[in-house]
Amino acid sequence: MLNKLRLERWTPALFLAPAIVLLIVFRYIPIVLGFEEALYTNSLSLAGARKFVGLNNFIAVFEDPVVWGSFKTTMVFSLVVNPLQVGLALLLAELINQRVPGIAVFRAIYLVPVAISMNVTAIAWGLALDPNYGLINGIIRTLGLPRQPFLQHPSQALWSIIGIISWIGVPYWSLFFLAGLQGISSDVLESAHVDGAGSLRTFISIKLPLLRRIIAFVLVSDTVVNFTLFAPIYLITRGGPQLSTHLVMYEAYRRGLVYGDIGIASAIISVLLIVVVAFVAVEFIVLRPRH
Amino acid sequence: MNRDHTTLLRLRKARRYILLYALLIAIAIAIILPISWIVASSFTTRETVWKNVLPFSWRAFFPADFTLDGYQAIFEKDFGRALLNTFFLGAVTVVFGIAVGAMSGFAFARLKFRAKNFLFALVIFSFMIPGDLTIIPSFVLVRDLGWLSTWQGLIVPGLANGIIIFLFRQFFAEIPQDLIDAPRVDGATWLQVFTRIILPISKPALISAGVILFLGQWNNFFWPLLVAPDPELRVVQVAVSIIGIEQQVNLWEQMFASSTLAMLVPVLLILPFQRYYVGGILGSGLKG
Repeated sequence: MLNKLRLERWTPALFLAPAIVLLIVFRYIPIVLGFEEALYTNSLSLAGARKFVGLNNFIAVFEDPVVWGSFKTTMVFSLVVNPLQVGLALLLAELINQRVPGIAVFRAIYLVPVAISMNVTAIAWGLALDPNYGLINGIIRTLGLPRQPFLQHPSQALWSIIGIISWIGVPYWSLFFLAGLQGISSDVLESAHVDGAGSLRTFISIKLPLLRRIIAFVLVSDTVVNFTLFAPIYLITRGGPQLSTHLVMYEAYRRGLVYGDIGIASAIISVLLIVVVAFVAVEFIVLRPRH
Repeated sequence: MNRDHTTLLRLRKARRYILLYALLIAIAIAIILPISWIVASSFTTRETVWKNVLPFSWRAFFPADFTLDGYQAIFEKDFGRALLNTFFLGAVTVVFGIAVGAMSGFAFARLKFRAKNFLFALVIFSFMIPGDLTIIPSFVLVRDLGWLSTWQGLIVPGLANGIIIFLFRQFFAEIPQDLIDAPRVDGATWLQVFTRIILPISKPALISAGVILFLGQWNNFFWPLLVAPDPELRVVQVAVSIIGIEQQVNLWEQMFASSTLAMLVPVLLILPFQRYYVGGILGSGLKG
C-alpha cells in the first residue's frame, strides 16, 4: 500500500518525463548550442581549428555583404509572401465557406496541396516553370505570348518562388480561416443581412474584425515558417540568379554545411532566432485572452 | 410586379452561383492540372516527355504513350528501399510519438503537479519556433552524440512534438470527470486509468496525431538530408531530390515517377482522414 502511494506521487513525473526531456534536449539545448557555437570559428573542420572568436561571427553577419544581403532578401520576401498568403487564404476560406452543393468536393481538392511536400512541389514547379520546355511556357507560347524566364532571371525568380510556396501555403492557412468563419454565429450574420449589408460589406465590417485573433496567429506563424524556407532554394535556384533568391536559411546551410563554418552559420541562425522570438512574443501579448 | 421581383431575385441568385462555381472550378483546375501533368509525364519515355507541352496540347495531362520506364529505372536505383525506410520511420514515429504525446497531454490535462504552467509554456513555445530554424545546432548536437547516419538520429529528435502534446491535452481535458473518478475510487492507478479508460475512448485524437506525425515524417526533407547521408537510410524526399538535382543528366521521366510516388502516399492518407487532420492542426491555432 505504501509502495503504491509512493508510485502515485511520482505518476506526473513519469507521464511527463519523456516529453519534457526530449523537448529540452532536442529543441531547447540546440538553441543554447547555437548561441555558443556562434562564438567559435570553423568548428566543423577536422584540424582542431575550433577557436574562440567572441562576437566576430555576429559582426560578420552584419558586415559580410552576402550574409547581410540574404537577410535583406529575406525581409523583402517576407513582406511580400506573408501578407499575400494571408490575404489569399482569407478569400479562399470565404469562398469554401459558401454552403452550396458539392462544396465538400472542392474542399477535399483544395486540401491536396497541403499533403504534398515542399520538396516535391518545388521539383514539379521547377520543371513546370522551366524557360525552355516547361508546361507554363508551353501554355504561354501556344497562346502567342512571349516566353518568360521565371526562375532563371533575377527580376522574376523570387516571385516564382513566392508563387510556388503559395500553392501549398494558401490552402493550408485557409483551413484556419475557414474554421474561424464557421465559428461566427449565424445570428450576427442574420442581423447584418436584415440591416441590408451585402456580402462584401459583411466580410469587411463583420467577419474580418471577428477573425482578427486568427489573422494575427496565422500572420505570425506564416512569417516564422517562411523565415526557414529552404527546400525550393536548395532544389531549384541555389540562391541565384545573381543572389536574387538567396534567403537566409540557405545561406546558413551553405556556410555551415557546405563550407564547414558552423560558427558563422550559428551566428546567422541566432540572429534569426532573436527576430523570431520577438515576433512570437508580440503574438503572445496580442493574443492574450482578455478577462 | 411581385412575380417580376422574384424573377429578378432568382436571376441574381443564379448569377451569383455561376460566378461562385466558376471560381471554385478555376482554383480546382490550378491544383489538379499540375498534379495530373506530373502523373501523366511519369508514364512517358524521356524522348516523348515534352511532346505535348510544346506546342501545348491538352494531352499533356493524360499519359500519352504508356510506359513504366521511369518507374523501372528508379526502382533499380533502390527507390523501393527509400519507400520502405520512410514507411518504417513513419510507423515508429507514430507509435512512440503518440505514446510520448498522449502521456504528457494527459498529465497536463488531468494531473496536479508543480510548475505545470511553466512546463506547458515550454511545450507551447516549442511549436512556435519551427524545428528547421535550429537545424544546424541540432545537427551539431546529433553529430556529437554519434548519431549521424543512424535510425535514432532520424527518429528520436522528432518524437516530442508540441502540437501533438497540445492536441492530446485539449482532447483529454474534455473527458467527463466521472469516467476518471469511478475507477480511481476503486483503487486503479493513474496508469491503469490512462490505458484502460482514457485511451480506448480517444480514437479521434489518436487518429489525428497519427496522421499528423506520419505526414510530417513522410514529407521531412531538410533533417534527413543533413543527418543521414548513408544510402542505406535514405528516405523518400531525399531520394526524390537526388534524382531531381544531384544526378547531372536530366532524368525527367524518373523525376516525374519518383515525385508521383512521393505525393501519392500522403494524398491517399489525407483524403479519408481529412476531418482528423484538419481538426488536429487547427487545435494549435484556435484555442489557448
